[in-house]
Amino acid sequence: MKIHPMRSGAIAVLASAALMLSACGGSAGSDGSSDPSDVNPEGEIKAREISWLLSRPADGGVITAMEQIAGEYAEEHPGFELNLITTPDRPSYLQKYETLAAANRLPELFDTDATPFAQKLADQGRMMDVEELLTSLDLYDDYRPAALNYQRFDDGSLNMIPFEFQLEFFWYNKALFETAGVKIPETLEDFPAMCSDLRKAGITPIALDGQDQWPLERYMAYHPFRTAGPDYVQDLKAGDAALSDETGRAAVDWMHSLGEAECFQDGFSSTGYADAQALFTSGEAAVYNIGTWELSNLATESLDATVRDDIDYFTLPMTDAAATAANEYVTPSGIGMAVNSATFDPLVRDFLGYALERYPEVYAATGALSPTTTVDTTIPDNATPLYQRAVDQANDVGEAIAMPWDTQLDPASNTRLQQELTLLVQGEVTPDEFISTVDDSIVENAE
Amino acid sequence: MSASMLPSRSRTSVLVFLLPPLLLYGVAVLLPIVQSLFLSFFSWDGITDMTFVGLDNYAEMFSGDDVFWTSFFHSLGYVAICLFMQLGAALVVASLLLNLTRGRQLVKTLYLLPAVISTVAIALLFQRIYSSGSDGMLNRALSWVGLERFQQAWLSNVDTVLVAVSIPEGWRFSGLYMLIIYAALLAVPKELEEAARLDGANWWQLFTQIRFPHIRPVWATTTIMATTYALRGFDVPYLLTNGGPGQSSELLTTYMYKTAFTNTDYGYASAMSVFIVAECLIAVGLIVLLLRRKADA
Repeated sequence: MKIHPMRSGAIAVLASAALMLSACGGSAGSDGSSDPSDVNPEGEIKAREISWLLSRPADGGVITAMEQIAGEYAEEHPGFELNLITTPDRPSYLQKYETLAAANRLPELFDTDATPFAQKLADQGRMMDVEELLTSLDLYDDYRPAALNYQRFDDGSLNMIPFEFQLEFFWYNKALFETAGVKIPETLEDFPAMCSDLRKAGITPIALDGQDQWPLERYMAYHPFRTAGPDYVQDLKAGDAALSDETGRAAVDWMHSLGEAECFQDGFSSTGYADAQALFTSGEAAVYNIGTWELSNLATESLDATVRDDIDYFTLPMTDAAATAANEYVTPSGIGMAVNSATFDPLVRDFLGYALERYPEVYAATGALSPTTTVDTTIPDNATPLYQRAVDQANDVGEAIAMPWDTQLDPASNTRLQQELTLLVQGEVTPDEFISTVDDSIVENAE
Repeated sequence: MSASMLPSRSRTSVLVFLLPPLLLYGVAVLLPIVQSLFLSFFSWDGITDMTFVGLDNYAEMFSGDDVFWTSFFHSLGYVAICLFMQLGAALVVASLLLNLTRGRQLVKTLYLLPAVISTVAIALLFQRIYSSGSDGMLNRALSWVGLERFQQAWLSNVDTVLVAVSIPEGWRFSGLYMLIIYAALLAVPKELEEAARLDGANWWQLFTQIRFPHIRPVWATTTIMATTYALRGFDVPYLLTNGGPGQSSELLTTYMYKTAFTNTDYGYASAMSVFIVAECLIAVGLIVLLLRRKADA
């Protein structure tokens, strides 16, 4: 169908409501502190309901753990309640979050990545200084530096609290590799040859969720991260680097070569998350790039018995003369939680102090990696040996993080880059066309 | 009947009953359009101050934005395919239905069925139909009839994707329009048809000289409905491909949505929504003009 009159009206109403609300929204939550660095406001702890607008799976480890902790806190503080409003679908979440931000109606706690949009909110003093908050709660040193660094803005400031720690691996099927006579790629340059050999053996080389765009954009980030280091994407958006320079061109050519070698399954651009994963877990595709949030599907007995013993993983391969170390790759701490400075009061501080201290233990018991170094992850009973190995790998992670580009670039350029990237890999545009379109877009949208 | 023919008391009651829907229409449709018009003169990301930019958004739209024009032409293609299925095919089916003596109700119900299925279910259904994997129904059907060479990833091929995302929309409501046209055809006076037949008119003459002129007012209404609905088409393309690959299935509506809610460029998105409103009004004007001229001829 179509946008019915009511629906298109509703969208416009939403936008205009946001406009009107923002005009008179200066007073929202004015009873709280609004100084982002006042992390220990004076006053009495008055129990009330607080809300967390979040984008996480409803039955996932974070929500389960926080619900349990909030329940415990409420027993000691009658009248307290943590209202969790989750929108797991990220595009829908961003729409909700940005509209509420425009209307100045964000709740006490809300999820955000370190995006340019969040940077604007931080610049307006609407998010608490989390570095100071964690320090004053005596929790700062518990966190893995990589988990905190992932949440930082370009200037190093920290306004989001991590709740996860993930490692992104290339999962692969040993049996299919053997059939095709290919080895784990030592460098990124080995990828096209690996794909060609797998194709020749009639095997789909890499399963990719092309519909959601970000998985392909990860590949775009890999080459520059190795050749130029983690700052390249920041230079790119600041105009100090361009895809037309040596680093950028090499990355674009590499992406183009992946397309030419038919690395991704036919029709990848319209394949969704679950279908892509099924390609790998059914033994059709040889490689699958995904994070440890899928451990319960890839490293336990819930994995199809026919491929269970054939699955292994390797980390992001190097390039010649790489600027980053082998133990540095995409190690995100997930979307972070920001604390609204307009509604921050003794209760929010007290609850966060209680919850964040308790959280690592409860969360690690679900089999997930805690963003802190204070606890050991409980390995589930039905885990394969791979589970423990992946968990241990987290203790050997370097400091530099390959940041996903979709959280770094301005949204308009990012959308354009994602679209053009699909066309580049499909062979619909040439590397030169890709470079000029994306560079132009970044310059045009730079503020 | 006009209000002046009514006694004064019922004129009051007409006003009383008309006012609430008019108010609702004003608040839900007219007000947002006016506000979009207002917003379209500003540059605004939702959180920092709005800046007045005059006609800059329109200038950018018409001269600086290649995606806008790509999306515009895609929208026209989408409308063309929807109209072909919703009016052309529906007219053929409705005419055939007239000659059907048994099972008419069943056929009508079957044709109407897709109109009551939720959009998300339709998108999922067509995702399976177009899939390039082993569950791709279209590809499998092609192989059954020996046309393997036409097998492809329908939603990933930039040459087929626009048609592929238009078909579910056209298919979905063709039953509804078929029903409306069928009802109009039923109302064509039988004695006129019989007289023409006695005069030796063939099937085609019967259709062009008797039936079509009679259903012209209904035809105009269905054309306007189908066209404006198709111009505002959004959900099936959004759900199936989100405008991709690249911008191959990007419509003005999906582009506007992304501009507003992904890029948080509310001013520019408002300019686009004003364009969509204008586009719908122009389309309606053209249809009315075209069909009226034909009627006068």
